[in-house]
Amino acid sequence: MGCRMGEMGMDRTETTFVEAILKDELEREDRALRSVAPVISHMLDTGGGSLVSDAAVARLRGMLSDIARQLLEAVTSSAASDEEIDRIVDELSNDSALIDHLYALAMEGHLADRLETQFGIDPVLSPLMQELIASNHPDTAELAMSAMAAQSRFNLCQRRMELPLGELPSELFAAVIERFCNAAQDCEPAQLDRAMGQLKANYDEAATRLGLLARVTSNMRGGAIAGLNLEHAGLALFASSLAALTMQSRDHAICACHDRQSARLTISLRAAGLDAEEIETQFGLLDQSQSPPDGIASMPPEVAKELLKASRGGLA
Amino acid sequence: MNRQQSITAARGLTDAQDRLLTADEPLAELHEACGGTLPGTLAIPELLALVRRSRGMGLRIAKEFSAFDGEEIVSGFARIQPIDDDELGGCEVIVENWHRAVQSETSSHDDAQRIDEVDRATAEVRARLDARQQVQIVTDCAGDATSFKDAVEANPGSAWSDHVELQGISHQQPLHWRLLDGASASIPGSSRNWRVRLIPLGPNRAAPRGFELLLLANEPLGVDGAGTEPAEIEGAHSRIIGSALTPVLRQPIARIIANAETIRTRLAGPLRDEYSEYAGNIAAAGQHLSGMLDDLADLEVVEAPGFSTASERVDLADVARRATGILGVRARDRKIDFAIECGDEPVIAMGEFRRVLQILINLIGNAIAYSPEGSTVTVTAQKAGEGLVSASVRDEGPGVDAEQAEKIFDKFERLGRDSDGGNDTGSGLGLYISRKLALAMGGDLEVVQPSQDEVSAGAQFKLTLAAADTSKS
Repeated sequence: MGCRMGEMGMDRTETTFVEAILKDELEREDRALRSVAPVISHMLDTGGGSLVSDAAVARLRGMLSDIARQLLEAVTSSAASDEEIDRIVDELSNDSALIDHLYALAMEGHLADRLETQFGIDPVLSPLMQELIASNHPDTAELAMSAMAAQSRFNLCQRRMELPLGELPSELFAAVIERFCNAAQDCEPAQLDRAMGQLKANYDEAATRLGLLARVTSNMRGGAIAGLNLEHAGLALFASSLAALTMQSRDHAICACHDRQSARLTISLRAAGLDAEEIETQFGLLDQSQSPPDGIASMPPEVAKELLKASRGGLA
Repeated sequence: MNRQQSITAARGLTDAQDRLLTADEPLAELHEACGGTLPGTLAIPELLALVRRSRGMGLRIAKEFSAFDGEEIVSGFARIQPIDDDELGGCEVIVENWHRAVQSETSSHDDAQRIDEVDRATAEVRARLDARQQVQIVTDCAGDATSFKDAVEANPGSAWSDHVELQGISHQQPLHWRLLDGASASIPGSSRNWRVRLIPLGPNRAAPRGFELLLLANEPLGVDGAGTEPAEIEGAHSRIIGSALTPVLRQPIARIIANAETIRTRLAGPLRDEYSEYAGNIAAAGQHLSGMLDDLADLEVVEAPGFSTASERVDLADVARRATGILGVRARDRKIDFAIECGDEPVIAMGEFRRVLQILINLIGNAIAYSPEGSTVTVTAQKAGEGLVSASVRDEGPGVDAEQAEKIFDKFERLGRDSDGGNDTGSGLGLYISRKLALAMGGDLEVVQPSQDEVSAGAQFKLTLAAADTSKS
């Protein structure tokens, strides 16, 4: 009896081990399968201008790997292997807030490219940015200069499908560090702590591209409405101004610029106080398949604001 | 009111408990408008959340924030930096781009909803009414209002208003709900005063399906059912100026002054001299009004029956240095020097620091106003006999004669002393308030008469306070 028990026990351990691996795998595959249908139906339904395009997915994956690589190399200060990077990417991709943000960045990069080729709108040095840099107020000029430099770095990084870790908004930066620390259990704790402490100490949200753009926009105050002219302001300032004036997140503002989100764009622009004609102009640039509804001028901006507030927005 | 000349508008410092320790004026003002004290827990909700987050994550963050200061929406861009210091453990807060905007009207709907929520949470009697305001069910009831519940249950199908006494409403009941919402009422069997809330139910507010009836007591239920602090209520001192008038008037007056200054200095374009002078007069009158308002608010405080001051150790020489520092600009404008005389030993009084500073600022301000240009104002801190210390302020102006000295501390007394600045904005309350404050701290404020042989020594005021027990220092 005792002998049989022993055999059973050994058998059991082995099964549990295999079981655990397979269970994990199965769950992962289930998740993947579950997401196929909505993605496919979405692509079929919305045609070429789908929200999830191959290009956006590629950029997103590139940025995730880049972040993972930076985290790993901060600890070991030697080149990280692909396996390690993949493992961290796996962990990071569970963070839906991070994915939403990176998706919005990918879309911003994509839109900026298109605006440049179609309408010659410079992604870095828009006329408004030039005016701000030429401001006779030294603080404003300096701020605009830093924002321009950051925007130019962003543009370059997008082409390389990279994203410096320190460019994340503070809450995502903290979340990424936390996830990494949990995933990197095999690192030496003291070394990990020191590396993460260093990353944190170097982080300054006010100096990130998004922080600088928000500060430039905030500095324009009522003038932020000047930022709502895409041709004049460029996409980066346009998105930051739209976000500030409508109290949405900037990621939402970027997503509103996608041609399948025309209701959000209409309502956002109206909430920011543009009239029907100005809204129509922005629509034309963003290649919206639909034009804004005729009666848009009769909707008071306050009502539009309420509508936006009520919509939780698909993003986390 | 152009506060946005520099991008950085204000700095502040918080500690490990998120208390605001020091802050520049606009930040301190907003903090206080939001109900905070300095030092005290940061009272600007969004900013507090940001500071907590920054401190918690140990990250330098930068976000937009906004707050409502009671009149306007104030927004700015906050940069928060955790301080790597075990002792302090707080954050440095830098606010950029201070911006004020009138609150949009749409929020009145939100406000109404919020008020409804607060009333629901605090109501002590709750009932459901049908469309004709007849009680369907009483769902909740406070101890002293059971007679209301009993009466309702004994008379099914009766209107709620049959069982309470509505104050100031004598029409046939029930009235339209809008007229009854917010009315005062008393409930038989309860000695408390109640407020009525009728909240219509159903999608159409014009034709409600029914109502939610809330009765809110104006006082908490005391042990004996009566108001617990009758003395407080009897002695309730009118604070209409400080609490009602000053906050409302400050903003428009400040705007008048700022605009008049803009015109006077021809910032908006060239202008004939006369008009610039008129604008100067308007600005001066505005400043007078503004100072008057501050004084009247102070007057109310010092004349309130329960007014008392804190008792703490106050270094008089230190207070004198701070007061002269605050008035430094005004003194430099008139080329007046300060001399602070004190011995080697610190002169420590018992009193309230803030109030002592207020008195010295008043005295030194007067001295600057009445001194000839290029003269010296002397502040002396010294022991003044057994258990007493004093701070004196002496100027080289025309002085105060015996007759004037008798009246100088009276309310609204201005004595017609010619101030040399030609722009006397006194309300005639400053010395009265200062003396009241001195008396409240157990001290005194008096005019020192120069002895006969001294010729034109100028005016000298002496603040006397009890000395602190030096053995402990």
